[in-house]
Amino acid sequence: MFQFDTLSLVFVALIVLGSVPNLFYSFGYLPHIERKWHYLIHYFAFILSMLGVVTAGNAMMFLFFWELMSLTSWQLILTEVKEKRTIDAARFYFFMTHFGFVFLLLFFLIVTDGDLEMGFAQMRGIAHAFAYPTLLFFFLILGFLSKAGAVPLHVWLPYAHPAAPSPVSALMSGVMLKVAIYGIFRFLFDVLYPWPLEWGVLILVIGALSSLIGVLYALSEHDIKALLANHSIENIGIILIGFGMGMIFDALGLKVLSSFAFIAALFHTFNHMSFKSLLFMGAGSVLHETHTKNIESYGGLVKSMPITALTFLLASVSISALPPTNGFLSEWMIFQSMLGSSHIDNMSLKLAIPFAVFALALTGGLAIACFVKAYGITFLGLHRSANAKHAKEVNKRMQTGMLLMAGVVFSLMLFAPWYISHFDAALFSLGHASVYDTIFPDGVWRIHSVAVHGGVVSPLVLLLALVGVTGALWYGYKALRVKERIHRTWACGYRTGARTQYSATGFAGPIRRFFNWLYRPNEHFEKRTLAGHATKFDRSHYAVHVKPLFETALYTNAARLANGISYWVYRLAHFEQTRYAAMIFNLMLLVLFSFRIFAHAFSWATFALESVVMIISIKVLIIGDKK
Amino acid sequence: MILYLFTIAILLLIAPLLLTFIKALKMRLLFKRPLPLLQGYRTFAKLMAKETIVSEEASQMTRVAPFLVLSPLMVTIFFLPPAAGGAFYVSFVDAFTITGLLALSAFFLMLLGLDSASSFGGMGSSREAFISALVEPAMVLTVFSVSMMAGDLGVGQAGVNLVHHFPKEHMASYLFAAISFFILLIAENGRIPVDNPETHLELTMVHEAMILDITGVYLAIVETAASVKFVIFASLFASLFMPFGPGLSAPLALLVFVGKLFLIAAAVALIEVNTAKLRLFKVPNLLGIAIVFAFLSLITFYVLGA
Repeated sequence: MFQFDTLSLVFVALIVLGSVPNLFYSFGYLPHIERKWHYLIHYFAFILSMLGVVTAGNAMMFLFFWELMSLTSWQLILTEVKEKRTIDAARFYFFMTHFGFVFLLLFFLIVTDGDLEMGFAQMRGIAHAFAYPTLLFFFLILGFLSKAGAVPLHVWLPYAHPAAPSPVSALMSGVMLKVAIYGIFRFLFDVLYPWPLEWGVLILVIGALSSLIGVLYALSEHDIKALLANHSIENIGIILIGFGMGMIFDALGLKVLSSFAFIAALFHTFNHMSFKSLLFMGAGSVLHETHTKNIESYGGLVKSMPITALTFLLASVSISALPPTNGFLSEWMIFQSMLGSSHIDNMSLKLAIPFAVFALALTGGLAIACFVKAYGITFLGLHRSANAKHAKEVNKRMQTGMLLMAGVVFSLMLFAPWYISHFDAALFSLGHASVYDTIFPDGVWRIHSVAVHGGVVSPLVLLLALVGVTGALWYGYKALRVKERIHRTWACGYRTGARTQYSATGFAGPIRRFFNWLYRPNEHFEKRTLAGHATKFDRSHYAVHVKPLFETALYTNAARLANGISYWVYRLAHFEQTRYAAMIFNLMLLVLFSFRIFAHAFSWATFALESVVMIISIKVLIIGDKK
Repeated sequence: MILYLFTIAILLLIAPLLLTFIKALKMRLLFKRPLPLLQGYRTFAKLMAKETIVSEEASQMTRVAPFLVLSPLMVTIFFLPPAAGGAFYVSFVDAFTITGLLALSAFFLMLLGLDSASSFGGMGSSREAFISALVEPAMVLTVFSVSMMAGDLGVGQAGVNLVHHFPKEHMASYLFAAISFFILLIAENGRIPVDNPETHLELTMVHEAMILDITGVYLAIVETAASVKFVIFASLFASLFMPFGPGLSAPLALLVFVGKLFLIAAAVALIEVNTAKLRLFKVPNLLGIAIVFAFLSLITFYVLGA
């Protein structure tokens, strides 16, 4: 029924670390929720179901808890049903999560031979006997990546996460996406183990694309929770880059490098859990005080909400992968594992890796820009709306939640070696080489790369050095006893006001313009000019909205196709009732003929003959004469 | 150890001098009367003596950010490759970390720009974010490539390795990496084709726009940070792409090192005199060249081994 091996326990730890601060936050948030019982029941069921997924010992339990997790989170999105957008988002989520579930079910039906209570270890034999392992792999990644939110199955995240109450979006983004990562780990290692090189390359490509697309759409987003949801796509991409590198190295027989890359991926999974939960909590607090998700109507909140601002800053620095935070450490490990690509003999693969490095580095640069925007526009400057002006710090329980999560972020930074030793143990239990001694050959002060000529980093020394130098500078400043005068901002003679500040749209402007070919934004610009002058105007309004390209290209067209088909089915279904019998007869004919064609020797003559019979029978019996 | 600390002290001391030297050389080339070389120190002393004016719209960020802009750069100074042979060097920080520390400094500088609610600050931050987002991949790829030729990702060790073993057999990729890094040096320090450090026309500014609203000691700190950043880039370029000199006796080696820094400053001045500032949306083209050269460097290394 249940199993508690090291990998499961590592993910249990992840869920516990993610949920405990969330509980505090959630109870602080509770007075503002109308349907309290509905919320609480589903909230606890959600956490328990996630624990169930990572400890499930057979396919039946796994699928049961997986579905329970999907349904409870779906109900949690529907906690505050006021807008039509929430219902749409919930419906979209429901559809996408079951789209993935179908593939998982197919996967399990094949690898268990129908006996869903079989343990995972026994499935390996059946999977190996199966003729098309790549099909199994596709089922697996379609099932799990649709939950994890990797490109191109990511489109539900920017809808579902903003619609849910903030503690739930923190849980969904911080923890639930990681449960999908657990699934990939578990079944790739336990069931599909010796994997070909191509699978790893595919995962690497998906990861690189997800990270870039996630961060680019995050930059153009003005809804703070949708911005964070897009960053989840980015971070899942980063995790998948590490994972893909691990798979590639493993397929090439470079076991040590492979373990290193997988550890990096696991570490980033933990890090993303910590800072993304914290960011969603911070965004939730801001939203709670200002009653708007639009980043353009925040501003100046650092003065009224210091705890939120401080924890949000910590999480922003960490998610931007700036040293010495935990986000930097895991991204550093992923870079180091890519540097190990010089060990690869396959030349075309070797030449491809720099492009992944490029994608990851560009992602890092854009993430910095995005979080300067998110933090700077939200917390700095002047209040951009009356709501922001009247904001005050949230209640103590919500603060406790945020501070505890900040503690988790700090612990991941300070005790990185301790966490890594557990990731190492988890990989060891999956039959991989143990690399802890190679990463930390001389104590916990330095993290070494396992690649030849790899780098070394020491988070603790860096932290101490930064704190020390900053402290010394500050002390020096205090010793100078500088006089201070408060005066309004100088703006070349104009008065600085809330409306003359730089907006989030303006901040992302240059980047949006550079990536115009991708965004294809809808721009609205209206200007009321004075007396026909082109340059004199008293009112102007500029708004830009970016519609996700993938959604329009992939999903809208798919929906259009489905609509078209359903229209024809509808037309067929509205004949007079006597023709239903004819339709059934024709379907049976079709099935029998198809069986004959595929099961017996195929010959063009019978195929043509049977087609002609089918067409005549459809024409005569169903379509009939035109009236 | 003493030599190590002495080198750091020298680097910190000549930081303002280098920027003044660029300015003076430019003025000389433009047939103007050059400013005295000690101007950088004078400005610093003057700013230190002034009172600070803090904008009333600003938050605590304005009081904290200047220190956080300078301290990552100060930390980076301690991790640079040794200028003289036998000098102590810190081996536990690699090139990615240095990239990260520079980004950390830029992160707080951008927040500082947004803090005072001035639209110029926002404009500067926005442009800095745009430029540094594109600098990041070029920087990482260049670092990646150089580390392969130097046989170590740690910059300290890489500098030492390059002195002992100049990568003659990889000359092509080495040169490509050098070109790429020099473009990054110009872009990251806000020199002319990318940003004009002397302009007073706010619409063209990047770095100056962000710090338009800070004064006194805070301004002195941020200006010091700018000069320290230039010294970091110049000495990285000097150690990684002009790897000669540290084998000499210590005083001579230091002299050669400082000479190299001035050579780089002179090259920057020559470029500044001979080019016009690019429009903001042409800057990606220049950075694109840096990225392409970084890729070329890696690919020639992989494919040709040259």
